[in-house]
Amino acid sequence: MQIEREIVFPASPDEVWEALTEPERLEEWFATEVELDAQPGGAGVFRWENGEERRAVVREASPGERLVLDWDDEGEVVLELEEVDGGTRVHVVETAPDWSTALELHALAWTPVA
Amino acid sequence: MDAGRLRVSRVFDALGDPGRRSLVEAVASRGSATATELAAELPVTRQAVAKQLMSLADAGLLRATRAGRETRYEVTPEPFGDAVAWMVDVGGAWDDRLAKLGQALRDRAAR
Repeated sequence: MQIEREIVFPASPDEVWEALTEPERLEEWFATEVELDAQPGGAGVFRWENGEERRAVVREASPGERLVLDWDDEGEVVLELEEVDGGTRVHVVETAPDWSTALELHALAWTPVA
Repeated sequence: MDAGRLRVSRVFDALGDPGRRSLVEAVASRGSATATELAAELPVTRQAVAKQLMSLADAGLLRATRAGRETRYEVTPEPFGDAVAWMVDVGGAWDDRLAKLGQALRDRAAR
């Protein structure tokens, strides 16, 4: 189970990459407090105002192209960048951790009772 | 049949068909969608998709809103429980974040 979003920003892939990987830039849009070492194996800690904290490990980091984070609860986020007319297309896929897949099967695997 | 049981029966009928189940998942993963958008990615006609979306809305599984000449659908999380609630929550969080990211990039470009 996953969610998917796609959006074009009027900025170059390099500019978008900075906004996706530099902690002080991530604090402008992703979380309130960010620590991130944006290279494969690097650690990330994200904190929000409501006290929520999520930790992640960087699985892939190809500057200007692709960033993959594994959340410590087993979900993952894939961010892909592509240069297009007028800017950069960002494609986001967040995949749910296993526990929610089990719930999905429960919710969606209903069959009509004869 | 009372109203509550009729509703449950409609939910089961609506989800008994694999095509309709995958439509619900397709709408949930996008946050919202129109028949035209979904037909572009599925091996079915727009008309067939529109008809199934309408029956899913009748069963209370999708919420329909008019968007110009088209009807836009989103998933009603309540009947599904945690799985679709996850999609709606996480999808909504990304909608907010991407809006803020766009603003941050525009602010920077303006400096």
